[in-house]
Amino acid sequence: MKTLRAYLSTLLIAALVITSLPVAAAPTAPQSMDLVSTQSVLAADRAGADRERINEILARADVQDQLVKQGVDLDEVEARVASLSDAEAQQMADQLEQLPAGAGVVGALFAVFIILLVTDILGLTDVYPFTR
Amino acid sequence: MTYLFSNARFAGVFIMLLLLSGCARNPVLLQSTYQALPPHTEITSVPFYAQTEFQCGPATLAMVLNHQGVDTDVEELIPQVFLPGRDGSVQPEMLATVRRHEQLAFPIRGTMDALLNHLAAGDPVVVMQNLSLPIYPMWHYAVAIGYDLPSETLILRSGEIGRHTMSFSRFDATWARTERWGFVVAEPGTLPTGITARNALEALSAYEEAHGPRATLSSWQAFVKRHPTNAMGQFALGNALYADQQPDNARKAFERATELDEKMGAAWLNLGLLLLQNDAPDAAREALTQAAALEGSWQEKARLALDSLNND
Repeated sequence: MKTLRAYLSTLLIAALVITSLPVAAAPTAPQSMDLVSTQSVLAADRAGADRERINEILARADVQDQLVKQGVDLDEVEARVASLSDAEAQQMADQLEQLPAGAGVVGALFAVFIILLVTDILGLTDVYPFTR
Repeated sequence: MTYLFSNARFAGVFIMLLLLSGCARNPVLLQSTYQALPPHTEITSVPFYAQTEFQCGPATLAMVLNHQGVDTDVEELIPQVFLPGRDGSVQPEMLATVRRHEQLAFPIRGTMDALLNHLAAGDPVVVMQNLSLPIYPMWHYAVAIGYDLPSETLILRSGEIGRHTMSFSRFDATWARTERWGFVVAEPGTLPTGITARNALEALSAYEEAHGPRATLSSWQAFVKRHPTNAMGQFALGNALYADQQPDNARKAFERATELDEKMGAAWLNLGLLLLQNDAPDAAREALTQAAALEGSWQEKARLALDSLNND
């Protein structure tokens, strides 16, 4: 994981430096200048730009790793990572462990059962619909 | 002595109950909600699929996507959204999976009023709840499909229950534990009513990342129609029009963005670059000068473009 990250960072930094060289050396050919994308403006609203891009690419690699660890089918991992927006990929990379995972009602311990029964009757929770 | 103790215990339990029920007060609905909304709404056309095991995420997605006319089912959705290691599905992937099926997912404002308004407008809402207590969470997705104002009841397709009715107060208690998270689904080119401009921008932008600007053009047009004075919307529309090879319309959208927000460097820059491509160097110089004068991430790029233009 760590090594993958280090390797990727180096690669990315190198790639960005190399791609930015021609611009610095010869600021010609304005025709080739691409328009600024909507996503980069929205991202800049959230944080700073170029560093953000490196982070996003790293985040995707991270998420891919984590999804594999969580038992997602290898055939599906790539498509799932690709369907995340940059902001979502970042969120997944930063806090997948803490994100609540919706699952529904599953069996509860007996002590918890009693507490939840009471809170259910009080209208605070909805674990046992038979309480109404 | 024992007598005293048992009394004390009773008193303790009694106070506990009082404290707990104190939390379960009715969620306050705005008076305007009572006045503006029909007293009863139920979107019966939403199909129901009972969840199996931990699959409430795929089940709710199947319900709302099929309601949108998307041809999919729970079996197909499970490998797309379910996380075996977590025995559940997480929020970012719920939204992303909707987009995989070429629909847009719009997070809603987290209030009961907003929720009921969406239902009244005919949009079922996927809600995330914590059915249990924060110390022992049971995260759950359900589809809200209707409500009844006089009895203060919400109607949901939830878990294994096709028509689960629940008092507003109980629902709100479970919903508040997810910071009232929920979303509605819409097809490209349409914008559900009641979505904030910011949420819509993020949703459209995410869709654009996945499917490209041309596929998102109709949605940007709908957005600009709804929020005509939103500079970011005009800017995004300009980019989509440019990608769709409509440079004239793109230029108009960028111009409109700069009129609405004179300090939007990116809009000045794109306007300048577009004019440059269309052989209008004088107008381009003007726009790029504006962009170069504004501090921000695009200042450098604007200066470079301006320099090269002046050197020609």
